[in-house]
Amino acid sequence: MAVDNIVYLIPALPVLAFVLTLAFGKKLPSGGGYIPILAIAISCIISVMAFLQIYNTGIPIEVSAHWFSVLNVGILIDPLASVMLMMVTFVSLLIHIYAIGYMAHDPGKPRYFAETALFTAAMLGVVLADNILQFFIAWELVGLCSYLLIGFWFRKPTAAAAAKKAFLTTRVGDVLFLAGIVILYSSMRDVFLERFPAGIPDGTYLLQFSTIFDNISHIDPTNLTIITLLFFGGAVGKSGQFPLHVWLPDAMEGPTTVSALIHAATMVTAGVYLVARTFPMFIASPAVELAGITIPATLTVVAYIGGFTALFASTMGLVMNDIKRVLAFSTISQLGYMMLALGMGSVIGVAAVGFAMFHLINHAFFKACLFLCAGSVIHSTGTNDLREMGGLMSKMKITGITMLFSSLALAGIGIPFLKIIGTPIGTSGFVSKDAIILEGSYVFANVTHDWIPFAFGVLAALLTAIYTFRLWFMAFTGKPRQERHPHESPATMTGVLSILAVFALVFGMLTFIPFNIFVGHTYDHHEIEELAGLAGNHVIGHDEILDIAHHASPIITLLPVIVGVGGLLLAWVIYNRRWISVASIGNMRNPLFKILAKRYYQHEIFIELISLKFTYGVLALAGEFSDRKIVDGIIDGISSFIIGGAEVLKKIQTGVVQNYATATVLGVGLIALILSLRWVI
Amino acid sequence: MVDYVLSLILFIPLIGAALTLLFTKSRESARMVAFVSSAISFVLTIMIYLQFEPGIAFLGFQFEEKIGWISSMGINYQLGVDGVSMPLILLNAILCPLTIVYAWGESKLPNQFFALILVLQAGVFGVFMSLDFFLFYIFWELTLIPLYFLISIWGGPNKDYAAIKFFIYTHVASLVMVLGIFALYFSTGVNTFEIPVLLEAFSDIVSAEMRVGIFLALFFGFLVKMPTVPFHTWLPDAHVEAPTAGSVLLAGVLLKMGGYGLFRVLLPMMDSLGPYRSSIITLMAVLAVVSILYATFLALAQKDLKKMVAYSSVAHMGYVMLGAAAFNYMSVSGAMFQQFSHGLITAVLFMSVGVIQHSVHTRIIPDLGGLADRMPKLAFLMMCGFMASLGLPAMSGFIAEFMVLTGSYLTLPVYALLAMVGIVATAGYHLWAMQRAMFGSYNEKLGEPHDLANFEMIPMAILVLLIILFGVYPGSVMEMFEHASKIIPGVMI
Repeated sequence: MAVDNIVYLIPALPVLAFVLTLAFGKKLPSGGGYIPILAIAISCIISVMAFLQIYNTGIPIEVSAHWFSVLNVGILIDPLASVMLMMVTFVSLLIHIYAIGYMAHDPGKPRYFAETALFTAAMLGVVLADNILQFFIAWELVGLCSYLLIGFWFRKPTAAAAAKKAFLTTRVGDVLFLAGIVILYSSMRDVFLERFPAGIPDGTYLLQFSTIFDNISHIDPTNLTIITLLFFGGAVGKSGQFPLHVWLPDAMEGPTTVSALIHAATMVTAGVYLVARTFPMFIASPAVELAGITIPATLTVVAYIGGFTALFASTMGLVMNDIKRVLAFSTISQLGYMMLALGMGSVIGVAAVGFAMFHLINHAFFKACLFLCAGSVIHSTGTNDLREMGGLMSKMKITGITMLFSSLALAGIGIPFLKIIGTPIGTSGFVSKDAIILEGSYVFANVTHDWIPFAFGVLAALLTAIYTFRLWFMAFTGKPRQERHPHESPATMTGVLSILAVFALVFGMLTFIPFNIFVGHTYDHHEIEELAGLAGNHVIGHDEILDIAHHASPIITLLPVIVGVGGLLLAWVIYNRRWISVASIGNMRNPLFKILAKRYYQHEIFIELISLKFTYGVLALAGEFSDRKIVDGIIDGISSFIIGGAEVLKKIQTGVVQNYATATVLGVGLIALILSLRWVI
Repeated sequence: MVDYVLSLILFIPLIGAALTLLFTKSRESARMVAFVSSAISFVLTIMIYLQFEPGIAFLGFQFEEKIGWISSMGINYQLGVDGVSMPLILLNAILCPLTIVYAWGESKLPNQFFALILVLQAGVFGVFMSLDFFLFYIFWELTLIPLYFLISIWGGPNKDYAAIKFFIYTHVASLVMVLGIFALYFSTGVNTFEIPVLLEAFSDIVSAEMRVGIFLALFFGFLVKMPTVPFHTWLPDAHVEAPTAGSVLLAGVLLKMGGYGLFRVLLPMMDSLGPYRSSIITLMAVLAVVSILYATFLALAQKDLKKMVAYSSVAHMGYVMLGAAAFNYMSVSGAMFQQFSHGLITAVLFMSVGVIQHSVHTRIIPDLGGLADRMPKLAFLMMCGFMASLGLPAMSGFIAEFMVLTGSYLTLPVYALLAMVGIVATAGYHLWAMQRAMFGSYNEKLGEPHDLANFEMIPMAILVLLIILFGVYPGSVMEMFEHASKIIPGVMI
């Protein structure tokens, strides 16, 4: 089949674009920006071809080759990877086109386009990996590119600091992830050595997903839980989950298009994808006892961290005045929803992967749109500060409307109860978030009587609607509050915005059911049921999920929309009508406002206390002291002792033979004495 | 292939050194003669590298040469290569010509300078090729002399202290090693200094205490050379004062002699240590993890960029020790690869620091700032080097560290996990240094620096390409190491 032979081009073309743009970008129009656009466009077409093939045949595309030692390189395109591929290439393509206009006046264009091409390639590497090590490698390259792009304007000290913070914070997660891989290798090796005592046959790649998934039931359950928790640690770092989310709001220092790439197409979705990719391992991880401590089942941890993050981040989104920062917190919060959805897998099984991925894709469209709208606003007003904006609707109609559409999607506004051929009617954010809250966390609560994830989901939805429309009303309505005369952005930019806005509105409705069925085919349902059994869970079937969701009381069904519309109205009352004075709540005398505006003092804790005071001030400087004064002090001490001794010896060395003879006699006598004493004793 | 190809590779730099020292009048001719002779060695090395066959039995050497020398003592001039040494010989053959190119602008006593680099190269070749312990020791000591002079003549303000400290510290360690060699020679009673014969005879030594004593004496010699905490303090001092070319070769190939000793001599003895084996392994593992963590935090504390890089070398060599300690083929081949990879990476780092020193006359991190603005080429290559050094995948350091960590976890899980604690701090000091030295607004006090000259850029760019090449495709180098480590007696497969 033809597609199998060219799938390697999907990541290879953007890599080639990286090299070419870096080498020749300066001499080309638009800093060589058309090279990555062309490359990613072809990658996108191949991705669609791959999708069509596996959609028609139902057989995933697998290509693998020996790399070195016990490792392989390979490509795996199953339904999960396929939808991700199309999203990444398509959204990244749009963002690249937009960037031609957005970056037009930046002298660093060649470097910009080279790095974004590599960024896309790395993300595609994550998506296509057929083994966990290759996944990790591409994952790290994603981290590298985010470092380079967040620090793109490296002359700005804040940009350089934010880039470093992003890399180091995600690195904490990466180390956990790497530890997980190391332990997984050892566990898989044990499994295979038991089966093949004479030696593991050549061509068995212990880190390949297919090999791992076939042997999950043989892996020691305690190890499995530890491994998946460590993997999740990696996902927490990359996907900005609590407590490793601190880098993401600062990652705004790069160009807005970079933010759009990071938040929509690449990078942050990698963590969610990791959990979805290794979902069979997650679902099979039981709660275990380790050294007297009970470790909860991994998916429970995923659900709680995700739900908490969804709520926690949205509280901070309420008070930010930087337009991009509001969106950054919304990303953290929405990623929390995706994790929450995955965490529901212990009850709803593989449907959890479908819901999470569906929200991921929808989120990519509306978040890319939101960021690019924000970019359009910043481009024309020259400020990030919402307080300096206002009344932009009259000047920037397309930006205003597309941003409204994507805000409606983010807030999850739609029409409850109304379903046409089983598809709910509403913005794409509504369709996917509603599924997570009702068919995910409500069903979960109904089965397990644990209502906490559900509560996280609903509360976060309320806050999301408030901050989203706070942003929109502050920017686009009311009196203009700046001197400059804003203007609409060029057509390459507004065109991209319009495409994304259409997707933000209708993609959810059009694809909900086929999407979930298709992605559901990634894993075999019976196998997932059996694996869930290993963790002591009973997974309920698709029909049962729908059944429970349909029989929910109307209040429950309405709740997500009520909070969404309620939040919108609240924002309208405060920030548009201004019936309630913002200043009376939002000032530093209000302790609640203060703690939110200070972002729960995370900067003080993570940066100043842990990094600077402890790691540098205590560990590093104590090490420096011990090295210079103690370790090296001993060496210098020994040498000065010897030199001092030599000075003494120099005096003994008289050159008079008689003295030497005396000393020799004395020495021999002493030895004889010692020896005779030994005999006596 | 000529019969004495190893001798050719070994002696051409020595002849080149003599020519450079005695017959060149100008800087231009000195560096050209030096470059040509190291380049000939390089070409010959590539030729034997391509002919080399991995997978020959334990102690099976290729391209062997043997000439009787002091027959009463059983001392021969005997050379040969196997999978342990072949890639390291390649490393030495790559680094020296690149260092000579990098030092193209050296104006202080150029003929002596380049001659010393060639002597150093020959000494290191000799260590990696010798199959006779006596010869091994001679080459081992030979490497001290050129580096001593490189530091004490071309060094920084505190060069005398650093040079003497370097010389005496490593020389004392070598003497302990010599005691070990003689003890091995006399207690086996085979009346030869042939390394393969002595290694085979080691297990015949009756007294287990004697075997451990020999092992520890040799171990001490290698330990100081690598160096391993707490015997590392000569290294930062030497680096801080050494000229860039000296630092590149010190970190790039001289330290590798210590690790080479572990693989060549000590690991084959490991299986004969009897009841002491597990304590020795614990000792090695503790030293390794302490080196990794301690040196990493020290690197974080440094204000001098070069000293930071020096401590990072100590930490990276800790991985070599860890992989050796874990004593399974995955960890051992990873450790061997770490040696090879670190040689390439650290060279880029020292070259970057050297360019900064040369161009703005300081390398104290807080005094720098925003250099990327004026020196974009340097910033690019330095970033590549730093990323490689912090273990970014798709670069050679990651392959090595992954193999070491994964392998070590199989036999020494706690130590492997402890070593990983250092990974974040490693990224921390690299990026923090980058941020303060290279990014932010340009510090105008530094004047108008020039970006990389071509003779600086070319070697750095070649090294970066090699780092990426071996990171993406470890290929035959890894294959040689793997075969070499699989056949060590007693190693866990």
